[in-house]
Amino acid sequence: MKDRLMDTIKISAKDVQVYYADNHAIKDVNVEIEDKTVTAFIGPSGCGKSTFLRCLNRMNETIDICRVEGDILIDGEDIYDRRVDPVQLRAKVGMVFQKPNPFPKSIYDNVAYGPRIHGLARAKSDLDEIVEKSLRKAAIWDEVKDRLDAPGTGLSGGQQQRLCIARAVATAPEVLLMDEPCSALDPIATAQVEELIDELRQNFAVVIVTHSMQQAARVSQKTAFFHLGNLVEYGDTNQIFTKPSDPRTESYITGRIG
Amino acid sequence: MSNLHISSAFDRDLEAIQAQIMTMGGMVEAAIIDAARSLETRDIELAEQVRNGDKAIDALELEINEKAARVIALRAPTAIDLRLILSVIKISAALERIGDYAKNMAKRTSVLDDLPEVTGAHTSLRRMAREVQGMLKNVLDAYVQRDADLAMAVISQDEDVDQMYNAQFRTFLTFMMEDPRNITPCMHLHFIAKNTERMGDLVTNIAEQVVYLVTGGAPEEARQKGDLSSTDSSISKV
Amino acid sequence: MSNTLKNSLLTLDARTKKRNAAETRFRVYGIAAIGAGLAMLILLLVTIFGNGLGAFQQTFVTLNVPLLEEKLDKNSTRNLEKIKKVSTFGYAPLLKQAMEDTLAENGIETDLKSKKQAALLSKSAAAQLRNYVLANPDMIGATVEFTFLANARVDGYLKDRVTRESIADDKNINATQLDLVDALLAAEVIEQRFNLSFITGADASDQRPEAAGMGVSMLGSFFMMLVVLALALPIGVAASIYLEEFAPKNWITDIIEVNISNLAAVPSIVFGILGLAVFINSMHLPQSAPLVGGLVLTLMTLPTIIISTRASLKSVPPSIRDAALGVGASKMQSVFHHVLPLAAPGILTGTIIGLAQALGETAPLLLIGMIGFIASNAPDSVASGFLDPNSAMPAQIYEWAKRADPAFYERAWGGIIILLVFLITMNTIAVILRRRFERRW
Repeated sequence: MKDRLMDTIKISAKDVQVYYADNHAIKDVNVEIEDKTVTAFIGPSGCGKSTFLRCLNRMNETIDICRVEGDILIDGEDIYDRRVDPVQLRAKVGMVFQKPNPFPKSIYDNVAYGPRIHGLARAKSDLDEIVEKSLRKAAIWDEVKDRLDAPGTGLSGGQQQRLCIARAVATAPEVLLMDEPCSALDPIATAQVEELIDELRQNFAVVIVTHSMQQAARVSQKTAFFHLGNLVEYGDTNQIFTKPSDPRTESYITGRIG
Repeated sequence: MSNLHISSAFDRDLEAIQAQIMTMGGMVEAAIIDAARSLETRDIELAEQVRNGDKAIDALELEINEKAARVIALRAPTAIDLRLILSVIKISAALERIGDYAKNMAKRTSVLDDLPEVTGAHTSLRRMAREVQGMLKNVLDAYVQRDADLAMAVISQDEDVDQMYNAQFRTFLTFMMEDPRNITPCMHLHFIAKNTERMGDLVTNIAEQVVYLVTGGAPEEARQKGDLSSTDSSISKV
Repeated sequence: MSNTLKNSLLTLDARTKKRNAAETRFRVYGIAAIGAGLAMLILLLVTIFGNGLGAFQQTFVTLNVPLLEEKLDKNSTRNLEKIKKVSTFGYAPLLKQAMEDTLAENGIETDLKSKKQAALLSKSAAAQLRNYVLANPDMIGATVEFTFLANARVDGYLKDRVTRESIADDKNINATQLDLVDALLAAEVIEQRFNLSFITGADASDQRPEAAGMGVSMLGSFFMMLVVLALALPIGVAASIYLEEFAPKNWITDIIEVNISNLAAVPSIVFGILGLAVFINSMHLPQSAPLVGGLVLTLMTLPTIIISTRASLKSVPPSIRDAALGVGASKMQSVFHHVLPLAAPGILTGTIIGLAQALGETAPLLLIGMIGFIASNAPDSVASGFLDPNSAMPAQIYEWAKRADPAFYERAWGGIIILLVFLITMNTIAVILRRRFERRW
């Protein structure tokens, strides 16, 4: 009970609608995402969970025909306000993608790029420190500390994804968005990344989109079920997976048709 | 919402388990009836049948456990499927215990055959057994139909069984105080009555599992403890 | 039993046999097509090299020339101004003297007068002598050994272009001269050697085909390519980046894209007229200058570079852009820090190929005056390299092919060889660079 009182609301979405040209992709989403918690978005393909995730750091703006209505507030500030620069927002809200996509540069440069362009480090030693801290946080420091100049693309899949996570935390974000981060990884790498997520939630609000319900159950404390663009149910992970309130949720998580 | 899983093999596995529970339930019901009848009619052969039949009941419980473990390992069931599997495991354990009590009843029947008859005991015991068998039948129906209300009714029915046991307890005390030669048969009969009352409690366990399966929670009112023989000293004052 | 035999994998059914036969036939057609292409390529190369290699070998005459003081510097003043006053005409007697001396040395007898003897030498011999004297006035009085070009007919004789039958109507040479040539050849005064000045020397007038070289026109081409590189690459890449990354997707952008593709197909002579009208007439830039040629070729190469740059930019996977944006880079930063470096090999390849194409263009140069200009003087400075009138390699080849003297014909083929060497080298560099910098992601 005490923990619940200490969790604050990090992201607050009110009546969010997303349109792709005329297609009403996300309808009336209201959700409050807590800080220092892992929130999982689950749902069938095409239900809008990735779309909604990308709204949280305004990445959907890279698609011309996408339009967002409603309010999304991070720490009480509307991120779609005209005064907000998406570039600055994305330093605060980091993102990890489905397919590991390290830059074709050295491991060091991969992690250092973000801090460099945001001016987070003045001297080389500061930058070195940030790189080391981020790689440690991503649980990959021991494996790469001797070859920071090696290209990032030369690592294995799981290592690449952890490198991408290191890259995302290097800009000292407060929220971490992960779009199916383990879907391209083998079970061992998946387990490593899940362990990492569990550690990360002590410092960040983590939102993870996943196709695997077992993963959502293992990793998250709160789960949101999306269906056909609607947020059908949102609640504690334990409750959703043992006694969901909505029949659609039950149908989906038990693998029933319809 | 459709009740069928996308994976039909999963549905087949669940159906197989439930079919086995029903089979087991039927066998236990028959065991209760037969044990009670053999007590009444002093039919030693029937008693013998009941005792042998318990092996099959035990074997079924093992099979059901195995199947349930397999489903857990392969399917990682959630929500209603999870509750189904958990309840099946508990229900089969309860049924197996009920079967054991029936076997015990049949065993004592053989012993009682050599002892003097106690008037009226067999009739009341038979009535108790009938009551319990009725409860079992209802709870199995409730399970199949996923009827939580029927399960709650079964739970309250246990009060009657408890009352009947209390009455029997007093009756046996009276008989034993009247005539010391009655002590031995009355003790056996008492054990049979106690076992029957325990059967009723186990059926109530099954009913609680049915409620858990359907609603995901425990029955709201606390179960009425009707058996006062261990707490109320006034009952033993004749 | 019979069923299993029918479906046996070890025997081919009729359908498979037919299909295999069809595929074999197709493969044969393909090989035949390649064979035809190769045969034509070999024909082309054999013709070019057969006709052109001769230009690299030239006939030289080695003479000891007495630098007679009384002819060159009568008053022994060694005054450069005075010495300059002696024109090439004044050096002719020296050559005649040298020729006579050489014949005497080698014991060759002939009926020819010394003028006819000296006529065996190229008309550029006197100029060569004069240039030497002006550079080394202190050598006046000494006897210096010189190697002169033999004249075109002598050269042709040694290359079997000129035969005793063909000289019947030829005014420039007669049979007695040819006898003298034979004798001098035997005495090793005349010999054939590798002619470096074909590659490095300037073009020469009609009368001296033996002295004609590609050097100056190569410089002209070089300066033009510099202009093209300096202008087409930045403009083309910047335009591509804008179109690919920043331009909104509306009908204006569509029209621009369609027109760029169309521009790539416009005949090159149209660009020549455009150059004439805009650069020369309106902007009054110097005619025949490599700067103008470069500007015209820039216009021609721009569509090629834009199209290949766009293809390279498109080939960068969107995941890289997403990753950059996700870390908080702005659109501009993601393009310049990530997309452009990855697209660079493709852009480089496209540029080199565009340059190679521009190198070989002739028609636009026609209208701005670089054809018909005799590239006889190398430019003295970088500025004049751009602004002084010059020719270009393909223009030079065309010019030589036009001239009457058959010796120029050989030189045209030689020029083609040089041009081909350039083009193949540039294309090979493009391929190597692409292979080396191609990255897997």
